[in-house]
Amino acid sequence: MSEFLYRRTGMVFTEAKRFYVERRVVERMNATASGSFASYFAWLRSDAQGEVEHFVNAFTVNETYFYREDYQLSCLTNELLAERLRVKKPGEAIRIWSVPCSTGEEPYSIAIWLLENWPKVDEYEIEIVGSDIDTGVLEQARGGVYGKRALMRLLPPVIEKYFAPVQDETWKILDDLRQSVRFTRVNIVDPEETRPHGQFDVIFCRNVLIYFDDASRRIAAENLYENLAPGGFICLGHTESMSRISPLFEVRRFADAIVYQRPVEGVNG
Amino acid sequence: MPLIRKTPDPLSAAPPDLASVATAFAHGTPEERWVAARSAHDIPGSARILAEALIRERNPRVREAMFTSLACIATAESVEMILPFLRSDEAHFRTGALDALRAMKGTVSPYLPQLLEDGDADVRLLACELVRNLPDDEAARLLCALLEAEREPNVCAAAVEVLAEIGSADALQVLARCEERFSSTPFLLFSIKVAADRIRS
Amino acid sequence: MAEKPTKRVLVIDDASLVRRYYRDALEHAGFHVEEALNGLEALEKVMTAPVDLMIIDVNMPQMDGFTFLQAVRRQELPLSATPALVTSTESGPQDFAAACAAGANFYLVKPVSREQLAEYAAMLCGVPA
Repeated sequence: MSEFLYRRTGMVFTEAKRFYVERRVVERMNATASGSFASYFAWLRSDAQGEVEHFVNAFTVNETYFYREDYQLSCLTNELLAERLRVKKPGEAIRIWSVPCSTGEEPYSIAIWLLENWPKVDEYEIEIVGSDIDTGVLEQARGGVYGKRALMRLLPPVIEKYFAPVQDETWKILDDLRQSVRFTRVNIVDPEETRPHGQFDVIFCRNVLIYFDDASRRIAAENLYENLAPGGFICLGHTESMSRISPLFEVRRFADAIVYQRPVEGVNG
Repeated sequence: MPLIRKTPDPLSAAPPDLASVATAFAHGTPEERWVAARSAHDIPGSARILAEALIRERNPRVREAMFTSLACIATAESVEMILPFLRSDEAHFRTGALDALRAMKGTVSPYLPQLLEDGDADVRLLACELVRNLPDDEAARLLCALLEAEREPNVCAAAVEVLAEIGSADALQVLARCEERFSSTPFLLFSIKVAADRIRS
Repeated sequence: MAEKPTKRVLVIDDASLVRRYYRDALEHAGFHVEEALNGLEALEKVMTAPVDLMIIDVNMPQMDGFTFLQAVRRQELPLSATPALVTSTESGPQDFAAACAAGANFYLVKPVSREQLAEYAAMLCGVPA
């Protein structure tokens, strides 16, 4: 089974994780009313009712919070933006896309991180777009209200600076910041929905592509490719790799992260 | 005086049809060919044009988009347009074809029995991978049937690789017989042993 | 005599049983083994940590062995000069020619035996016989 998961998702389950894997198998066997391991494994392999995602959920800490996977945010300010700036025309905005954005932690994190960590943040116009297929979470994102857990990785001075306390243990993003992120609904498998978003310098597309079926994965990858400016970057989730998704993008290794890039010559190369 | 062709904005042009797609494939820039490739799957009758353009296409990303369109068309015709690429001398075509066929599970299944009996060992080998996507009993049945008759060790190895994951006790005897026939091929003996152990546990 | 660092081999093949067979043979012969199941994953691995030898299968999903090898040969030194042993099911001339064109250092026809693999791995890594 670990071979199947490795092939399908790229995740490696070592001996050390064996206990957790076995426990998860038992949980999922119960949840799917599987009579035997063999029948559960067949179910998992067929990815019936999104079982691969259900199974893997327990290992990818799917909870969303501010500054999650911040090594990618570091990569953004340390490396990616500098490269993008070299090709930007004067007055051209830097465009960043967070998709899926869920309840907004990711796009707001990007905004706050840039304000806190990027020396050139005042020199450029930065457009941040957050998109999701689920209009419910988009509403929450626009509302910008978060609980303690979502803020757990933020230091108190940062919370103080960008949030106002609302009730016990909830905070609301300050209006300036809240209104600077644009939220839209999108199904990334539909090019009619993705194309109008235009081209971005950096796309964060974490923990969704890996769960699509083969056909949808290809289409979504091609859509996102079109949504990247030539030379633009796309970042996946920590356990994800384009090797399980699409050969369209170039691999770039930076100090902080492996990131994927649309070649500079556009469709060429 | 050279004719200067204004490059139309691919995303705002009139809805594509077979003729415009064929023109783009024959004369377009890589960007135009990419756009044409992606839009082709919505156009009836485009499978053949896609396949013919694929053969000539040197840009790997445009090829990828062409294979995706063929996979999305998902008809018997599109399967038949893709199959010849499995026989290509060029590895990237074989990979592209296999990946596309993998994305067309239902449409490609009726072809698997004949692919597993193809005269070309490399086609039989690649077909074993596609069998993985069939329901377990059918997949196991086809692979066991192949193993009984197969002479090429690499094709057997490909079948054993899939059986190791999906096989049940029914496969054990077939594996044992294969083991006897290939007693002088260490890698195959190794594979069969691992597969049998896995099935038994 | 100073202890020599262990040679690192990257086994690139989409078949899990092939990778396992090679791993057994190579670890037994004292190599450190990494795995990848297609050319893209292999590219990520070699860009993350250098290896002394790449054993590259040809038919793999997403990115075939030749496309991978060409991508490696386009990188900067020292990565671009990593020894490459291509393995293929094809005994005919096309894959051999393609292997040479892509920059392979050696070519073996599958199925490969343990002894063959260990011997050629040692040779290509510069390990004395």
